[in-house]
Amino acid sequence: MTLRLAAFGLITSLFVGVIYVITKPLIIEAKEEARIAQLYALAKPLLSKGAIQTPVRKELPSSAPTSLERPLMITPITDSNGQIGSVIPFRSTEGYSGTIQLLIALDQDQRIVGLRAIDHKETPGLGDKIDTRKTDWILSFNGLSYEDLSPNDWAVDKDGGRFDSFTGATITPRAVVNALRDTLSYFNANPELLEVSL
Amino acid sequence: MKVVTLWLDGLWDRNPGLIQLLGLCPLLAVSNTLENAIGLGLATLFVLVLSNASVSLIRHLVDDAIRLPVFVLVIAALTTCAELLVQAFDYPLYQSLGIFLPLIVTNCLILGRAEALARREPFVISTMDGLAQGLGFFLVLVSLGALREWASETLILAALPPGAFIALGLLVALHQAIQSKLKHLRAKVIADTKDRRVRTTGDIS
Repeated sequence: MTLRLAAFGLITSLFVGVIYVITKPLIIEAKEEARIAQLYALAKPLLSKGAIQTPVRKELPSSAPTSLERPLMITPITDSNGQIGSVIPFRSTEGYSGTIQLLIALDQDQRIVGLRAIDHKETPGLGDKIDTRKTDWILSFNGLSYEDLSPNDWAVDKDGGRFDSFTGATITPRAVVNALRDTLSYFNANPELLEVSL
Repeated sequence: MKVVTLWLDGLWDRNPGLIQLLGLCPLLAVSNTLENAIGLGLATLFVLVLSNASVSLIRHLVDDAIRLPVFVLVIAALTTCAELLVQAFDYPLYQSLGIFLPLIVTNCLILGRAEALARREPFVISTMDGLAQGLGFFLVLVSLGALREWASETLILAALPPGAFIALGLLVALHQAIQSKLKHLRAKVIADTKDRRVRTTGDIS
């Protein structure tokens, strides 16, 4: 019977594998479409003046925080005079379950134009308040730049910072705020990394 | 006769959402909009029909020792496939259902049907039972979604979790009211036929 159980395991895995291989290209395509739609929603204030360009690969030095992927794909937004902003993906691995994928749009003064959680598996009703489908919490960052607040203020209120942590679910907002702080402070210290030569 | 009972049970008499109260977690959580309700209802129907069908097909191959792990394997594999398919063909729906799509695997309705019926009955009956129970669940989910979406335009409570409990309570009450009316009617019809029989006998004698 043990052998039979193993056989069933093998058959079901094989079945899932087949479906996975068939749907994989479709899923990649759907994700890309959703990402681009998010990109447009995020950078809307900048798009009245400029247009989204194709993403540019940027190699990061090893000192970059873990919130940034390597290599980093920066999506520049340009008008006729050059770059007026950028959209950058970042992530947090400190969430309650799995990686939280985020997307941020910055203008040339590194002021936040838009911020969204684009993929996460946080607890429904608690941690998923970072999602714009549930609450507007993540929109409260709009208009801020790293230098507007002291470094200690870039934290959730439970950690002595400025940002609301949801009752009963501090882990998720803390993960988002900390990853945001690491990302912003890094680009604040290394602004040349956001410059994209076109 | 068995087939008729099967359908009546799933859709009305022993409806999974209104009588058995199975799968309440997704039922309450995802019924905030009609679109979400339809999406999750269809995904659950898909998993339930295929799990009942496959459990019935392999019913002679498993003994009591490995029965549960095998059923869980089957349900988990089907749920993963449903998740992949929704992701591939309706990504926005996948995003708004979130964690509740993979959580279909824990819906006790599915393992419940496998244990209670599909592991003993032939393929056609089991598949039909999956369809009936799944449709029953789907209809409750969709009514709840429609009710809450409609009510939330004037009453914000309807869109919130407590609203889900209240709306489901109302649906269960409505079901009970109709059910007792039906029972009354059925009893009356039987009594009437008896009456007539008595009279007929009386006339002859």
